[in-house]
Amino acid sequence: MSQNPYQPINGEIVDIIDESQTIKTFVIVPEEKFKFEAGQFVELTLPGEGEAPFTPSSSPADTEKIEITIMKAGRVTGLLHQCKKGQKVGIRGPYGNGYPIDDFVGKYIYIVAGGVGLAPMRSVFLTLLDRINDFKSVVCRLGARTPDNFIFKNTLFWSWQKIDGVEIKLTVDKADADWDGNVGVVTTICDKKDVDVKNAVAVICGPPIGMKYATLKLLGFGFDAENIYLSMEKNMSCGIGKCGHCMIGKYYVCKDGPVFTYEQIKQYPDIWD
Amino acid sequence: METVFINKLKPLLDAVAEQMALLLPKKTGEHYIYSRYDPSGEIPVEFNNIRPCTPIKEFLLPVCELAATSPEPLEPEDVKPFAIFGLKDCDLRSIEILDKVFADEEFRDPFYVKRRENMFIISSDCFEVGENCFCNLFGGRPFAQSGFDLNVSKVKDGFIIEAGSQKGRDFTEKHPQLFTETSGALLAERDENRSRTQRRLEQNNAEYQFDAPTKEIVEKSQDSEIFDVEARNCVECQACTRICPTCHCFYLYDTKQKDYFAKMKMWDSCMRVGYAAVAGGANPYKILGDRIKHRLLHKFVYFLDRYGKDMCVGCGRCVDGCAGEVDIRTVLKKLSEEFKDKEKAKVTK
Repeated sequence: MSQNPYQPINGEIVDIIDESQTIKTFVIVPEEKFKFEAGQFVELTLPGEGEAPFTPSSSPADTEKIEITIMKAGRVTGLLHQCKKGQKVGIRGPYGNGYPIDDFVGKYIYIVAGGVGLAPMRSVFLTLLDRINDFKSVVCRLGARTPDNFIFKNTLFWSWQKIDGVEIKLTVDKADADWDGNVGVVTTICDKKDVDVKNAVAVICGPPIGMKYATLKLLGFGFDAENIYLSMEKNMSCGIGKCGHCMIGKYYVCKDGPVFTYEQIKQYPDIWD
Repeated sequence: METVFINKLKPLLDAVAEQMALLLPKKTGEHYIYSRYDPSGEIPVEFNNIRPCTPIKEFLLPVCELAATSPEPLEPEDVKPFAIFGLKDCDLRSIEILDKVFADEEFRDPFYVKRRENMFIISSDCFEVGENCFCNLFGGRPFAQSGFDLNVSKVKDGFIIEAGSQKGRDFTEKHPQLFTETSGALLAERDENRSRTQRRLEQNNAEYQFDAPTKEIVEKSQDSEIFDVEARNCVECQACTRICPTCHCFYLYDTKQKDYFAKMKMWDSCMRVGYAAVAGGANPYKILGDRIKHRLLHKFVYFLDRYGKDMCVGCGRCVDGCAGEVDIRTVLKKLSEEFKDKEKAKVTK
């Protein structure tokens, strides 16, 4: 293990899966075993080009490879989308905290996610599946712009919905001819009766505006702020609480997050900006 | 307290320079800027009466440095011992602040730590007060309190040298021929000099006494319009953050070299508009006034919450360096006045 925290481990992209027009999943094999917890993030380097933070979408149980699901949103992600199998990459991390899954035992888990926010949720979901009987049930409310924009379509639309202890509802902002599900933002499929809010934790991930309204809705259902877990997106660069870019109040999102309870950060302005 | 006396600085500096590279402040225009010591004696040695113009952080965190390489990994190189002369109390306190961030137990920055461990620190008393010095407002003194290997106090006929660490004691013990004993009269003269500078410092900053702890003032002023008003005096040059000895933000960027890839670490500034922007388009600090507010919150609230210290040593470099017309003391004083008025209004309600 290098004593240089800025030094990535070398890795290679061994497969690329098209999830939607703007989102791809990259399967990466690092040269060393790579352990992480669901919710932690990594810094992915495209050598010579740049580095950006991502939360893996694969199961932490697999230490041989990591899957990272990436939306084309900026310069580095645009370049990643042009990559082919065999591309060498670098990985630093994992950084920050994961979801405290052990604290979720015996409770309902209410996952509310939208867009590429489903990516880290898949890692959480797969972690929960490994011990599904430990929880009351896993209730997912997931949204995408259009049916085609859903990522992980194969598993999401079929196999996951058949698992005992899992209940999934989907919605799209804009339907196509084949869609017979709900149309509307993700909060329109959230209902107070979905879970017993006094014995539930919520896990929210998505674009900031979506997280904001989902949080407000769940507070309205009677969720305690300390039972709402948010995965915050900031401009993490170093990953180790030094470079300053990712601050929310006194917290470094890279070190103290990226998973926060709403209770921890609600006092700070700008958390949704 | 172990002190010795020396008539002239040059023999002391020569002895240091025999052992390691020595940097010291050289008067350049109106300012002191660090340069390599020249033992030939062609350039006369000067005692810097006030702090150097540039911050000490540049010797611990270079403006830009190699942080990682691929495919072959980079391990930090060994750093040869080096000495810096002429640091003031504000500089020593700024190192203490940087240590908290870069030498923390959880994630040590090995590049920083190697330099830090090999830096021989020769501080000195302030003999004058800089135009914008305000260290007394933030617990500073015009003379070193701790964190030095050797400290030099100017007196009429020479210099009193105090060892502040084992490394410093080793040095004075190794060079007994350089020094003579100090006397009570000399120490009294030093103390009188110190009090004189302290009084001058207090006079200079008398108008900036705040009405509450800065943490409370800044934390409770988040809705204040003063930040946006001050933004009109800011030209976004970022000089305040670059010249600040405690500001330490950096970013990592990747480059292609001839036969390897490099990850570079470079100073950044929270005054830059894209500083906190993410690829998705969100940017909490699009507005300049919000960036100024964030900088003050970081310095006087968040850093204090996390590390138990203000992230300001009152060196006044940001005031010296400002290309616009922002004076951090004035901003704090305005916030303090507004805060006092608000508190008064609460009581009378």
